[in-house]
Amino acid sequence: MITLSNSRYYRKQELWSLFLMCAFPLYFWTLLLAFRDVSWLTERTNAWDAVGVVSYGMVFASVESVIVFIIAVLLGFLVSRSWSGERRGALLGVLALIASLWATADQLYFLWGTPLPAWIFQILVKSAHPVRIIYGVLLALVAPTVILPAYFILQTDKGLQAAQNFIERITLLSMLYLFSAFAGLVVVIIRNI
Amino acid sequence: MKKTINRRDFLKLAGLLPLGLAAPRFIQTPKGQKNVVILIFDALSAYHMSLYGYSRETTPNIAKLAERALVYNKHYAGGNYTTTGTASLLTGTNPWTHRAFQIDGGVAESVATHNIFNVFHNYYRLAYTHNLFANVLLKQFQNNMDDWIPRNRLFLGSYSGFIQTLFGNDEDTASISWGRNIKIEEAGYAYSLFLSHIYQPLQNSKVKNINAQFPRGIPTSNYEDNFTLEQAVSWISGRLTAAPQPFFGYFHLLPPHAPYRTSSEFYGRFRADGFTPKEKPIDVFTEHKDKNDLSRRRMEYDEFILYADKEFGRLYNYLESSGLLENTLLVLTSDHGEMIERGIVGHMTNALHQPVIRIPLLIFEPGRKTRLDINTATSAIDLLPTLLHLTNQTIPNWAEGIILPPFASAAPAPDRKIYVMRAIKNAPDQPLTTSVSTTMIKGIYKIHYYIGYPELKKRGQDELVKLFDIEADPEELVDLSLARKEIANQLLGELKAKLAEVNKPYL
Repeated sequence: MITLSNSRYYRKQELWSLFLMCAFPLYFWTLLLAFRDVSWLTERTNAWDAVGVVSYGMVFASVESVIVFIIAVLLGFLVSRSWSGERRGALLGVLALIASLWATADQLYFLWGTPLPAWIFQILVKSAHPVRIIYGVLLALVAPTVILPAYFILQTDKGLQAAQNFIERITLLSMLYLFSAFAGLVVVIIRNI
Repeated sequence: MKKTINRRDFLKLAGLLPLGLAAPRFIQTPKGQKNVVILIFDALSAYHMSLYGYSRETTPNIAKLAERALVYNKHYAGGNYTTTGTASLLTGTNPWTHRAFQIDGGVAESVATHNIFNVFHNYYRLAYTHNLFANVLLKQFQNNMDDWIPRNRLFLGSYSGFIQTLFGNDEDTASISWGRNIKIEEAGYAYSLFLSHIYQPLQNSKVKNINAQFPRGIPTSNYEDNFTLEQAVSWISGRLTAAPQPFFGYFHLLPPHAPYRTSSEFYGRFRADGFTPKEKPIDVFTEHKDKNDLSRRRMEYDEFILYADKEFGRLYNYLESSGLLENTLLVLTSDHGEMIERGIVGHMTNALHQPVIRIPLLIFEPGRKTRLDINTATSAIDLLPTLLHLTNQTIPNWAEGIILPPFASAAPAPDRKIYVMRAIKNAPDQPLTTSVSTTMIKGIYKIHYYIGYPELKKRGQDELVKLFDIEADPEELVDLSLARKEIANQLLGELKAKLAEVNKPYL
């Protein structure tokens, strides 16, 4: 059953889940790219240095996670008091994940190296306001990915339930990454002794 | 007599303490000793310098100044990348002795005191490098220096200084990771999803005033921190003027190392100039770069050399006008070359062809008014004993090089062997038995010997031998290993015997 709370303050569990939601995509992306780098790093240096680069990456990702988490917490204070703490936590967690997915999509564009089809550029070049069109298209793409989840989480119990189930799974996975980050920190300390 | 001292007396005495600590060194300093300055331009291939006959005019200033210098026309690096090349130069020993093989490795601890800073102990010793990996070596030798200048001292406004402060003991790996984390730059992606987007504009805002001066981007160290040679040269000039004499200065500047980012003055200088490089056979270690790519990269590299050349001219003029050159030996050289041919670009290659190992060496000695060309083959390991000889100091018995001509009393032995090595995958305590490239220059011949590379195994070979007559064929176009089998076998035998000898302690 969903409990209602009009408090502006977060409960510990709420904060912990939110942190893990913020950290998950950052750790995932760092590990993905860092492992991609391991082969050339090992080739040019050695396996221990490659482990070092991955470890520093996890430590830097932890710092970034804390920053994103603090921003999310502060944004949470803007959410209306009329929503329960659960709804607010689920909303922030899902929005943090969506923002990360868009940031990932932005980098994937360069990573895959597949340019947009030429006809899109031709349309943009021919138009009077190419920048406005780009922003308009981006807004049209991003807005539904924010508004729809927000609507379902805030307005329907089913939506909230689904979000909470999803968050539960992600946070469990995120705990594993957190453990990797801790191992990374140990490696960094050893390397600097 | 007063037996105790009061607080005021104590403070007065304490104020003299730093002077007292410094005094013995300066009091012992030999009077009238020449200063020494070694200037390294990283990855500067002699093959690409008009001074040495390259048909693009890449080094007009150096060529002009060389009219008053000793010019070594067949000078070889110790390796084909920073770590090994720089270690050979700074220790005066061959790679198998200093064992700095791995890219961010230092020399073996057992020989760490065998370095050029240590032997110049009566001098005020200062050193700087833009290069992350050369800095690993300087860090290892820092106890033998008076002033090890931090890398970020000559970087333009950067937010990365904290890496050196926080992770001083592991700066190179921390810097690489930081770069991959936060710097989106040319790759378009980084480990960081959000902060990288904030970092880049912040960094750009710090250097926006000079962006226009560098159409290919501001020169950078491993895509991390920006710098300009103008700033470096001005700073070095000022620092040398203020340094106690005699001084020994080692300055290892990154250009023309990739990325090749010349200044607007030289941008496009060689575009469509009709230059056609000699067609060379594709190497077994080819990176399959196509002709157009090679041509573009060659043009960019050559234009970047022009930038280094100009700034060398500025440094020389400063040292001359300040009077420092009257009492200073100025050495211009490199740590390794660069290769833009045979489908290969850069120096992270297993191949040891001439462009990637033949480097410039010019010695400007006080009072010299004419150019003297030295045409015997010389090595980076010869610099340490030569500079000691020129400053009337004792050459340690661990030094493996010779005193360079014309300073030596006798000419080098005609059968002298010069070695260049790449063993980037070798741990320092392992024998050199796999993934090793070695070349030996003896007389007119140069033998290449490659062992244990996957590229060779794919061809069903464990080793590859090439032989070139570098007098008749300086471009290494015709492999003579079959046509002159006897010579190839003889030289290979000598090279293998040497490797067996140096591997013995590690087997």
